[in-house]
Amino acid sequence: MAPGSDRYASRADTAVFLVCLVLSLVALALPAGLREPIAGALRRTVLLPVLTVQRQAVASTAARERLATVRAERDSLVLETIFLPELRAENARLRALLGLEGRLVHGFATAEVLHQAGVADGLTLVLSAGREEGVEPFAPVVAAHGVLGLVRSVDPHTSVALAWTHPDFRASAMVEGTAVYGIVRARRGERSGELMELIGVPYREQLVPGTRVVTSGLGGVFPRGIPLGTVQGIMTEAAGWERTYVLQPVIHPSEAAHVVILSPSRAADTLRAAFDTAHAVADSVLLIHDSAGVRVVTPPATWRRRWPRGTLPPPRQSAPPAPPAGVTPRERP
Amino acid sequence: MRITPPRVRAGLVLALLVAAHFIVRPRLGDPRFAPDFILVALLFFAIRVRPMAGTIAGFLVGLVTDAVAPTAFGAAAFALTVIGYLSGWLKVIVFADNLLVNALFVFVAAWMRDAIEVLVAHQLQGGELAWQLLALSPLAAASTAAAAAVTLFLFRGWLRQGAA
Repeated sequence: MAPGSDRYASRADTAVFLVCLVLSLVALALPAGLREPIAGALRRTVLLPVLTVQRQAVASTAARERLATVRAERDSLVLETIFLPELRAENARLRALLGLEGRLVHGFATAEVLHQAGVADGLTLVLSAGREEGVEPFAPVVAAHGVLGLVRSVDPHTSVALAWTHPDFRASAMVEGTAVYGIVRARRGERSGELMELIGVPYREQLVPGTRVVTSGLGGVFPRGIPLGTVQGIMTEAAGWERTYVLQPVIHPSEAAHVVILSPSRAADTLRAAFDTAHAVADSVLLIHDSAGVRVVTPPATWRRRWPRGTLPPPRQSAPPAPPAGVTPRERP
Repeated sequence: MRITPPRVRAGLVLALLVAAHFIVRPRLGDPRFAPDFILVALLFFAIRVRPMAGTIAGFLVGLVTDAVAPTAFGAAAFALTVIGYLSGWLKVIVFADNLLVNALFVFVAAWMRDAIEVLVAHQLQGGELAWQLLALSPLAAASTAAAAAVTLFLFRGWLRQGAA
């Protein structure tokens, strides 16, 4: 093992080097159907001990960091629980009055993000929950602030998630509280991996910076109402056709430590209430384009029965006139 | 290969680095810039053995790395195979028992690993590629080099190449 000045690559060294390079290229060329079982087998065998150690390290770090907070929260909760039954009943009455959805109380698993070294860590994430914890492929991965990605492969106690920064990630999105739909993906190009793009927004719709974009519930993967990001500005526009907006994501994969993995069976749910209930009341007002510009109206009860909350009546056949100067369409009151 | 006390000590340091990767690294802040202790261990190993052993070690470490980030399965294996092989050749340079030279070697190796991996994976392009290679990768490489320097400073006697 001792090095010496005569230690240079022999033919055998070069041959082994070439063989390893070829094997790497073969691994790169493997179809996904073969690649994933090999990666999964490595995670379940060689990597299982180290991933377990890492999971415990992450959990202990988080526990230590949050100890003081948890103690304070526990003390507060002790006081709060005295009034809990009364508050719960009152909350149920108020939610029923406002027509809000139920809270997120079932159909999810919690996990820690086991960050790895290397350039691929921002694109895929190893999570500390797997099949045994009820995680399934294509399950949405959500952080406290919003969408983080979706599960790509599942092992017994770990899973690999595709983060929103991955080039293959797409999510059907809508502007919160309106019927403006689009597709969200990671922004490619300058400062990629830091921002999102909202593509496919109809040209006639203009979104003001700060507008919140959430999942639309279309596509059967992400439930409706999970925050994705906020509009920063227009990136590109195809005249008369569509606009692409730049979004500031609610969370970057590298910042995530604890996540919630939703069950795919919740894809049809509306989770807006679990993230933010403050805007729910605003669903009862609609923004209408007509010859007078943009108006805020309260829809009659018949509309609310015909069209689900958060949607608008079908657009008119003719294109609406441009709003008067100084008025920004779709701006919330 | 005989098992001698110096080799055991060097092996212990490498094992410590591997353990640090999974125990200490999660506590060092943003994972994009946290030091890659596994890469440091691989480099310390590769410059102390024949290129063949360094190559095989690099390939295996790369394969395991690919398993936890299977975005482009094989890209890390390719990159670390090259790094492991070249480290054997660069022994003459890093044989100098100089902290700065060793840190610089680790910095270049970490940056080169990222560059090869990104180019082979072929998933980033344009400004995105530049952002990764000119901003994120150098910062991560710098933290990895700092970790290597600290390790060398603490375990210089155990890692002396003649003793290994």
